[in-house]
Amino acid sequence: MTVGLNAFILVAGLLFAIGFLGVILRKNTLVIYMSLELMLNAVNLALVAFSRYNNTMDGNLFVFFIITVAAAEVAVGLAIIVALFRRRQTVMVDHLNALSR
Amino acid sequence: MTATQSLLLALLTPLLSAALIAFFCRRRGAIAATISVAAAASICVFTFLAIRGAEGQTLVASWDWLTFGNFNVSMGFLFDGTSATMLTMVAFVGFLIHVFSLGYMVDDKARGRFFGGLSIFMFSMLGIVLADNLIMIFVFWELVGFSSYMLIGHYLETKEAAAASKKAFIVNRIGDLGFLIGIVYAYWHFGTTNLNEMAAMVSVNPALISGTIAALLMCGFIGKSAQFPLHVWLPDAMAGPTPVSALIHAATMVAAGVYFLIRITFLFPVDVLTFIAWLGTAVAVYAGFCAYAQNDIKRILAYSTLSQLGYMSAAFGLGYPGIALFHLITHAFFKALLFLGAGSVIHGCHHEQDIFKMGGLFKKMPVTALTFLIGVLALCGVYGLAGFYSKDAILIAGGLGNTPVFVLLTLGAFLTAGYMGRLFWIAFLGQPKSDAASHAHESGLTMLVPLIVLAALSVVGGWIGFWPEQLGEIIRLDLDHLHHAEGYEGMHKTILIFGSAAWIVGLFGSFFFYGAGAKEDRLEKKASPVYGFLKDRLWFDEIYDFYVAKIQQRVADLLGFLDVFVVKGVLVRGSAGLVGLVGMCSKSLHVGNIHGYVYWFLAGLILFWAAAAGLF
Repeated sequence: MTVGLNAFILVAGLLFAIGFLGVILRKNTLVIYMSLELMLNAVNLALVAFSRYNNTMDGNLFVFFIITVAAAEVAVGLAIIVALFRRRQTVMVDHLNALSR
Repeated sequence: MTATQSLLLALLTPLLSAALIAFFCRRRGAIAATISVAAAASICVFTFLAIRGAEGQTLVASWDWLTFGNFNVSMGFLFDGTSATMLTMVAFVGFLIHVFSLGYMVDDKARGRFFGGLSIFMFSMLGIVLADNLIMIFVFWELVGFSSYMLIGHYLETKEAAAASKKAFIVNRIGDLGFLIGIVYAYWHFGTTNLNEMAAMVSVNPALISGTIAALLMCGFIGKSAQFPLHVWLPDAMAGPTPVSALIHAATMVAAGVYFLIRITFLFPVDVLTFIAWLGTAVAVYAGFCAYAQNDIKRILAYSTLSQLGYMSAAFGLGYPGIALFHLITHAFFKALLFLGAGSVIHGCHHEQDIFKMGGLFKKMPVTALTFLIGVLALCGVYGLAGFYSKDAILIAGGLGNTPVFVLLTLGAFLTAGYMGRLFWIAFLGQPKSDAASHAHESGLTMLVPLIVLAALSVVGGWIGFWPEQLGEIIRLDLDHLHHAEGYEGMHKTILIFGSAAWIVGLFGSFFFYGAGAKEDRLEKKASPVYGFLKDRLWFDEIYDFYVAKIQQRVADLLGFLDVFVVKGVLVRGSAGLVGLVGMCSKSLHVGNIHGYVYWFLAGLILFWAAAAGLF
């Protein structure tokens, strides 16, 4: 059996939505970060599916770029979070509001 | 002292008295009464001085009051024959009523307020009488409305009086709206509201007479003089103390409407006059019928007042303002007498007002009864008494000018005699029908003297030949005019027969129909549908109730909803909410809340997308 394009798009959309809501609603920086990754991967999934069904390589090319960039970003982002925790003893966003005081 | 100064003093004395009472004598009834009566007496003196000082000349004096650009409101006096006559009547009858109140209100707790009210009322009334322009008339017109509101509602702890005062005030407002628009229109049309200037313009160019202005100004008269269809307030206004009824609802306030018409008579075209004549005739007959189904002595008199006001407006409408003024003056004498007589009866019977609970008062209160009888006869138009001359003149004017009006007015005269006879026979003859009546006592001297004086005036008031030369100029003019009209001689004889027949049949008919000192209403017993129909008074109150409660209230509810929902909800709250929202959003740019940034980021994305998609 073959899985239709719509199914891929649906799953990608769901993943993106979950990630988006996670970014908006969660308080923990680490979880927000994971949600961001989820959104990137949802996009990856959609790109791969389009590539497959269009019989082109454009989408796959993009996916490689995104994976590379995401890896670099994780390295930097996690380092920032760790540094943040060392300094403030918390990673909850509602405590990270020094600007408003 | 010049005549102008006397007039100014006559006008300002009652104001001073009212101010003194309002500020210092609220709780000191005796002092307030003295001040008020003294003010009323000095009005009489100043009036006398003014009339002597004027020497029969028309006196004009005017002061600027307000100036806006080239629009100028002035306060001024136009003291001619008409206003001198009216002023004398108001001052003198008003003074007698003040004296009567001394006795009548002696036990009242709020005497200070009452006498203060009388004074402010006299002030307002004199203002109307003397005013030389429409705006000043309107100002004092409203003051009369206010003072009547205060006096009708004197017994404010009773629900009836509170409702009656409100009704009188509100119903008058309806008429006054027309009056106000009429003033504005008149100013636009003539460029002035001064009576003399308007009269001069109209006499030069009669084409300037406008039916619309006349009709609008007539609205004010309809409200104040309780003409159809705004007559509903007058019978209810009997909830006030009896001297107030005499002052406001017989002698002066309702007469102010008629007097106002006489003042602006030059503004009226023929068709509006005809309308007023028919209006007055209708009220005269309608009120005559209504009076038959009333048992309260004051309400019978109230309907009688309505009916007589109808006669006055009929006379005016037939083109004889002088005769209208004549009837106004004689009516003021005998109606004040009747109301004060009723007050004396009510006082003697310990506040019993139902005529079927009186009876036998002729023996207990001989002076009151005798003067009351003179009043009744004068009102019915018995030959030689005041009412005869004025009513006769009106009937002759009707007979010469408009036959249907004449027939209806004669019917009205018959009705008048009938219900006044009913009132007198039942209340004063026979045996006492209640404890209150059997313990009735004659009133004190302060109440009897005004009655006697007014009774004398009700007899001689119509002998126009004996009036002082300065008074009644316009009356004599119109009577002369009438006497030289074509067919006067024949009509005079006819009227003499018909008029006399009306009162003879009315008085004796009611005597034989009801019987002296009857215990119950024979009309109610024998013909209850007729009685019930008369008691319902053509359902005016019910119709107005229905209109206010069912129609006007709906519209008001709709407007209220629009106000609350659209104006308050959407426009006011909505605009405040919008601004608040913008504030909240832009605040989140600066407070370091990461989620706030996310939303802004999202909004930015949407903006970019929209720009890319070419939405704007």
